[in-house]
Amino acid sequence: MTLYHFGNCVALVYVPYYLTYKFSGLGEYGAFWKCFQAGCIYVFTQLAKMLILATFFPTSDAPGIVGLDYVTEFLKATVDLLDLAGMYLVLSGIPGKGHAKIVTAGVGWGGAELLLTRGLLLWVGARGAEFHWKYTQKCLESNINLVQHVTTAALVWMWTRHDLKKSLVPIVTMLLLAMTYKPLVMENVLEVMAFSAWSALAMKALATVLFGVITLQMYVVLAESIGMF
Amino acid sequence: MLFGNADEILDAFKMVVPYYLLIALPLMIIISPVNPVAGAQEFPAFRMQQYDLHGVPHGCRSSIVSLDGRGLSSWSSSRHCVLARIEDLTVDLYRDIRTRAGALLVILPKQEEMAKLSDTAKQHILSLESAMMQQETQIPVYFSHWTPEVQSILEDIDEISPASNQKGTAAEAMINQISANGYQIVVGAGHPSVRSEISIANIHGKLVGNGHEDKLPTVVVTAHYDSFAVIPGESYGANSNAAGVAMLLELARLMSSLYSDTRTHPRYNLVFLLTGGGKMNYQGSKKWLEDQVDGENALPQDSTYVLCLDSIAGSGPIYYHVSKPPKEGSVGDRLVKSLNTAAEQEEPTTAVVLNHKKINLAEETLAWEHERFSMKRLPAATLSTVKSHKDFARSSILDTKDQLDISSLARNTRVVAEALGKHIFALNSGKIFSDQLGVDENSLQMWIDYLASMTRATHVVSHKNHQVVGALKDALTKYLKGVKVTYMVPDRRDPEVAFYDPVRTIVNVYSVKPAIFDLILTFAIVAYLLIIYLVLQNFSSIYSLSASIVGVRKNKSD
Repeated sequence: MTLYHFGNCVALVYVPYYLTYKFSGLGEYGAFWKCFQAGCIYVFTQLAKMLILATFFPTSDAPGIVGLDYVTEFLKATVDLLDLAGMYLVLSGIPGKGHAKIVTAGVGWGGAELLLTRGLLLWVGARGAEFHWKYTQKCLESNINLVQHVTTAALVWMWTRHDLKKSLVPIVTMLLLAMTYKPLVMENVLEVMAFSAWSALAMKALATVLFGVITLQMYVVLAESIGMF
Repeated sequence: MLFGNADEILDAFKMVVPYYLLIALPLMIIISPVNPVAGAQEFPAFRMQQYDLHGVPHGCRSSIVSLDGRGLSSWSSSRHCVLARIEDLTVDLYRDIRTRAGALLVILPKQEEMAKLSDTAKQHILSLESAMMQQETQIPVYFSHWTPEVQSILEDIDEISPASNQKGTAAEAMINQISANGYQIVVGAGHPSVRSEISIANIHGKLVGNGHEDKLPTVVVTAHYDSFAVIPGESYGANSNAAGVAMLLELARLMSSLYSDTRTHPRYNLVFLLTGGGKMNYQGSKKWLEDQVDGENALPQDSTYVLCLDSIAGSGPIYYHVSKPPKEGSVGDRLVKSLNTAAEQEEPTTAVVLNHKKINLAEETLAWEHERFSMKRLPAATLSTVKSHKDFARSSILDTKDQLDISSLARNTRVVAEALGKHIFALNSGKIFSDQLGVDENSLQMWIDYLASMTRATHVVSHKNHQVVGALKDALTKYLKGVKVTYMVPDRRDPEVAFYDPVRTIVNVYSVKPAIFDLILTFAIVAYLLIIYLVLQNFSSIYSLSASIVGVRKNKSD
């Protein structure tokens, strides 16, 4: 739906990233280069994931057994644990500590994902004559992903800290696992409940915000305990 | 606070929109592929007839559509393309649309449901078809078959109607206007272009009688094989004139077995002629006549009779259309008599009715094919189960093989074959074709199935190497001698007929929103971004809020 609609979508996708970048003070740190590095690591991680998926889970044209499908899907989701490793790599590459490090990792990671997965879709789709809500939905979804990536970065960072309270370690680990398997679970739940695209989006937002809030609470505890803000 | 932030927002947007975009964006737009088809719904559609006959334009004169789709109740101007199911379209509505709307897309019932329509529905379609062909149309008119996607578009389009807006309040009406699903209908076919290389084929062959060929009398049996309907892409013409062709081929088969046996070799010549361009004022027969009369082996006028077969699968009586009542004792008179005898032999009996109509030269087209021959002073008649030449069923999209009663066609074939046999042997009673040498219903059925399975609009079959011509030639060659295909090519300067492409094309339907909707969406996005802005701006307070919550908890747990 014309260039105007494309502009709308781009604004919806791009501005939250920009605002996050600006208001977390990353601009002042000159963190753009670090964001770019994070993006490169994202690309590298995705390549590794794809190689693994292509090697071990070749798509078969024959209709598979339904029961086996869940196991394969689960294993496929397990490959997403590589994302956490990638995130760890990103975090270890960024000096300093505290929120700037986490936000840099989150924005860099999310930004790279945005460019690679949404860029072409919007360019091809949203500019066509046909209007479809799915482009707006994709844009909103990428906003949710930003929150999720920052949360993941925070969790990975906390997990690597030795001064994390022992009682919080299982919670952090649980949350990390939950983050990894969230898409799988969400997909199945949404399919079973037969939600519309909009309510599915709302569900995703809700889940992500919930994770985010829990993570924030733990982050606050850790930050307070090591005297950081 | 908002005003305080305004400067920052402005700054932010200045940073967001760097100047290099001014160059980069247009560049990207230029290099990006323009593919308007992606994401749209598309379905095949047939364009309405467009042809010129003797220089007089007929049918729909344009082809390009790029307009808003609207329903019958909601269209208002020439900026709208009207979508309507053929059931809902009346003749008056059509006339109104033709003069004021931008384009028309008629939704036909599903192909398999066309045969199951009620009689009133058929009558409705027939009257609409004749109204559509009556006058030339300046707007593009397309036809498409019903699909579930088309149904949902039709429903959406009806919602835009002003009638439904009046029900609610003004606010509701406005919301309706903004959120309504609009449809942009695009047909990217090129401008109508004259089809070049038209050659209308006539196929003829003969059975030579026992004796000196030139001294024997001749009967010419002829049928035109092309069809006509308001949609050239959907004119299957089962009764008119696949039935006539099937009957002619069956007659050729039966007669050839008589001619091949010396004991039953009649002293009569038979010529079988399949003409093209029959629906275009019998152009094929005209050309054949010119070749015959002006050519060397001209048919003698006093000993030749022409029988035309046209739309002959009806269950009623067979009409014997002539332009001059046959004189007592003439060939025509004897033919009518033998036809009557043969008709009475049938179980149950049928009738042959003489129908006399003078040739009206003032009319644009001739009524029946025999008039072409009568005008050249060849005695001729048309056999048909249709009573009036004005009956539009002869050129309708409804004339499909599902509507055809093959047993009636077989019976009529028996009558004509018997009468022809009696005539050439000068018999008055008895039966010639029975038992082994009888009318084969399967062969009739086979030909009907073959011919009516494709569109044989004059448009489509009038070029060299069309498969129908080849198939008919092969069939005639099996039974007859000296089978020849001759072509009629319209004059370059002043063509008798001209056909226009495209016949079929693709209609793209884009779902679009009104421009105001985009604006509203922008407002919504700006509001959303503002909220995000505020959240991020005040993230420190959220942070301290959660710190205080955790702090409270910490105190409690401690």
